[in-house]
Amino acid sequence: MTSLQETKLGPVGFQLDDATDIAVFVRSSDDDLKGWNRQRIVDALLRETMIDKDTADLVGQEVETFIRKTKIKFVSAPLIRELVNAKLIELGLEKERRMHTRLGMPVHDVKQLIMQQNKENANIPHGPEATNLTLAENIKKEFAFLNVFNQEVGDAHMAGDIHLHDLGFIDRPYCSGQSLEYIKKFGLSLPNALSLAKPARHAEVLLAHMVKFAAALQSNFAGAIGWDAVNLFFAPYLVELDDRQVKQLAQMLVFEFSQQAVARGGQAIFSDINLYWEVPDHFVDVNAIGPGGEYVENEDPATREEKPYLTYGDFEKQAQRFIWAIFQTYLEGDGAGRPFFFPKPLVHITEKFFKTPGHEEFLKLICQVASEKGNTYFVFDRGNTAKISECCRLSFKLDESDLEDAKTPWRMRYSAIQNVTINLPRLAYRAAGDDTKLMALLREQIELAVEAHLSKRAFIEQLLAAGANGPLSLLCMDHDGQGYLRMQRGSYLIGMVGLNEMIQYHIGAQLHESDEAIRFGLKIIANMKIVADKYRQQHGMHFVLEQTPAESTAYRFAKLDLEQFSEQAKDVIKGDLETNEIYYTNSTLFNIGAEMNPVERIKLEGLFHPLIEAGAITHIWLGEAQPSAESLANFVTKTFRWTKNDQVAFSPEFTSCRKCYRTARGLLDECPYCGSTDLEGITRITGYFTKLSSWNKGKLGELKDRYRNQAVFAKPASTNPAETATG
Amino acid sequence: MTLFTKENCGKCDKIKKAFDLEKLGINIEVIKPNDPDVLAHLAWHELVDLVEKGALPILVLDDSTHINYELPVRRYLERHIASMNQ
Repeated sequence: MTSLQETKLGPVGFQLDDATDIAVFVRSSDDDLKGWNRQRIVDALLRETMIDKDTADLVGQEVETFIRKTKIKFVSAPLIRELVNAKLIELGLEKERRMHTRLGMPVHDVKQLIMQQNKENANIPHGPEATNLTLAENIKKEFAFLNVFNQEVGDAHMAGDIHLHDLGFIDRPYCSGQSLEYIKKFGLSLPNALSLAKPARHAEVLLAHMVKFAAALQSNFAGAIGWDAVNLFFAPYLVELDDRQVKQLAQMLVFEFSQQAVARGGQAIFSDINLYWEVPDHFVDVNAIGPGGEYVENEDPATREEKPYLTYGDFEKQAQRFIWAIFQTYLEGDGAGRPFFFPKPLVHITEKFFKTPGHEEFLKLICQVASEKGNTYFVFDRGNTAKISECCRLSFKLDESDLEDAKTPWRMRYSAIQNVTINLPRLAYRAAGDDTKLMALLREQIELAVEAHLSKRAFIEQLLAAGANGPLSLLCMDHDGQGYLRMQRGSYLIGMVGLNEMIQYHIGAQLHESDEAIRFGLKIIANMKIVADKYRQQHGMHFVLEQTPAESTAYRFAKLDLEQFSEQAKDVIKGDLETNEIYYTNSTLFNIGAEMNPVERIKLEGLFHPLIEAGAITHIWLGEAQPSAESLANFVTKTFRWTKNDQVAFSPEFTSCRKCYRTARGLLDECPYCGSTDLEGITRITGYFTKLSSWNKGKLGELKDRYRNQAVFAKPASTNPAETATG
Repeated sequence: MTLFTKENCGKCDKIKKAFDLEKLGINIEVIKPNDPDVLAHLAWHELVDLVEKGALPILVLDDSTHINYELPVRRYLERHIASMNQ
């Protein structure tokens, strides 16, 4: 018998008067054998449940009698617990059984986990650390269902009506966007750290602080860690550096984040860096923090009296040197010429961008990177809007109070506390063509999502209440007079999957097939927004719609619907039903395989974006196509000027050879350099690039269907791999 | 054509008083905070952000382009009536 972990019940043994009959030993969690003691069953029941003492005694006696009859010599503490639970069920004490239940996994499942890769998240490699992460996640998921969410919410998740994201990280918020100014001003002074670091005096040290802080944040958030205006906030540290040193720093920044696959569970930090060519208006007059965490003094005698400190408006050139070097690094790729997976560079395109000298050349550079490597995210801040973007598309739109915070930018930190996604196609199956019923079902699901958010908020607040000695001590640190996690500013995300299939089933046309379909789709999302806004007012919580990345959710929902609603689902689910490589179209995206002109796709998908406050994106899949920087720059400018699209990313495909370590364009069966078939395909899965070998079945199905726009965007000028590849 | 207005929008009321919109074949849509049809209609015409900025009234023309704020809308309608009368 294998020794299994047991935390609370502890060892139990037989009564002394029975010792002549049986000799039961219990394999305890302390890795030792203990004698039988029935009282331990009773104690555990009284400690963990609301049961009365007499019933607890009865259960203890009956379990003891059962064990005695079996003449078993060794039992494990978990087995005894299950026997007790079975007895509680016999007695009709279901509530007590739930309270007394045990969390864990079957041996078979653990073995599978150790031997085979978990593909729920392609960003987690297979290894001992990843196994630890998955094991811990599984237990925390079970805990969440039993102790955080009510049964209705839990059942809705299990059934596939909704998806509660990152349940395995139930004891942390979802994701975080912040400012470098926090560590510039306060240094790296983390709770439980073995040493404290004062504010950095050199750019390299600041970078080291940033990377370490990101790793610390990854341990306290489930998902993405985003940084605002990175090139601008580094700028005061760059004055003394020559161009070569700035390039070196840019390389360190990108490589450090891309090689963080030694962090939590072997999972690279999902990192995003927001970048600006211009100095955003809300930072122009803000005093710049420089080396040592001090404001940078104005040394110009002519203006010093009036303006004692330099502001970020004075550091535009330094910020531009850095952003240029960062994109040169992306253009070069990693040591094998492959695109960097992280950090994702998000360039904000604003009205001011087009008025800032040098923007034409810079736009060409970032478009060249988009074409050759795919890294560039184009984030469109139209009018006077400003935002921090992160994750696959999430963005925090800055309101007036946030822009007021910009005067003290270390305060600018924003979090999403949780993400709940609604399975839209299922609502259409249930509504069976009835509009009124469809809208009622939609409201019900949003209500469930809100219920889930209330539970998560309560749980996180409970953890935060423990303060500096609690599990979220890092999020409680208050160097600026308030907790690092500003719960009152937290967002609660409500996502959607499969609008396209919902509409297809409900009105008989996909989004790309008719104006009526788009207009009905807009009505669905408008309804979601209005209901979310009502709950926002009711609870004083920031419920916002987001296009869920749905890396695994689009597959999970499709799979569950094919089981539970097979007659309805089989006609609209995308992918290959025979190989089970099935999926729903993500969020409000149009059919991924529809042969749409990219301009039209950006325009029409963009109609939905103003309704989705917490972030939306259009992906343009390039395949082997490699458009010129000039044509992409033109495309991006028109997207900004003539559409409402929120974010755009271009995604080429690559083949990396494991034998000769060179990289070629496209997904190939054979290395064009050495002929090897030992290859790794690379392209964007949701918001980030990764290796195809880590993709789940649904995403592999989607990859086959992607319309690659190769007829629109030119292929490379030469098809000679020696000229076009990046090895 | 469609004229998007709001309740308690003085500039919208001025346009409504100055012109016989029904006679001009112009539909009036009153933007209410809880009306998904209107919100979806605004999104269809890419007008959500304009409404958030308070750039009312908004006149959507038959070719789906739009004019916003009182004065431009007034001038357009005056020209439109003049061309109809020619």
